Amino acid sequence: MNEYRWSDLRVGLKHEFEAAFTAEAAAAFAQLSGDVNPLHVDPEYAAGAGFQGPVLFGMLTSSLYSRLVGVYLPGKFALLQGIDIDFSAPCFAGDPLRVQGEIVFLSEAFHRLEIKATIRKEDGKLVSKAKIRVGFHGI
Amino acid sequence: MDNILEELQPIFRDILDQPDLVLTRESNASNVRDWDSLSHINLVTSIEKHYKVRFALKELQELKDVGDMIDLIEVKLAAK
Repeated sequence: MNEYRWSDLRVGLKHEFEAAFTAEAAAAFAQLSGDVNPLHVDPEYAAGAGFQGPVLFGMLTSSLYSRLVGVYLPGKFALLQGIDIDFSAPCFAGDPLRVQGEIVFLSEAFHRLEIKATIRKEDGKLVSKAKIRVGFHGI
Repeated sequence: MDNILEELQPIFRDILDQPDLVLTRESNASNVRDWDSLSHINLVTSIEKHYKVRFALKELQELKDVGDMIDLIEVKLAAK
């Protein structure tokens, strides 16, 4: 886990990592969230709708933005305060996903930073993009 | 001054999710619904980006209402 201090942060600071979700993780998310829409949990229904398999929940893949902020950028001293997400393309269990984030704004007054982030598939196709507002605690 | 008030109104309406909010110089966190600590941070950072200015925490702590914020913005813009 990164432990960036406020004084370490600058506009342009970046971090990226890779991740993937299993079908079991998607099933667990359906149970936790109560979102049992068949597009996400029923392979036959998803195929009938024209997809190669159940579509991963957007809110599940977007949980990677939470990891980006809470573990890497800025890491330990982060406090997630807001996020705007746009979804661009579906993805599926097993798809390798690359998460990238970059600090685009720093407000000294409240130690607030803003991050532009994306999640892309292996071929570079955009899955989602986000503007993330992050507070800083402890320091 | 009136221009800044007019420019601030859509920012406040958007951040506080109150499309009918009518902002005055006397508006403050006590008489505007949902103007709490986190929305205050959202308001200030949006204002900083809109006017391309930066506030110091001490400057912000001295503000009592929107009128004071407008006066501070005018000072910042004049110094640019």
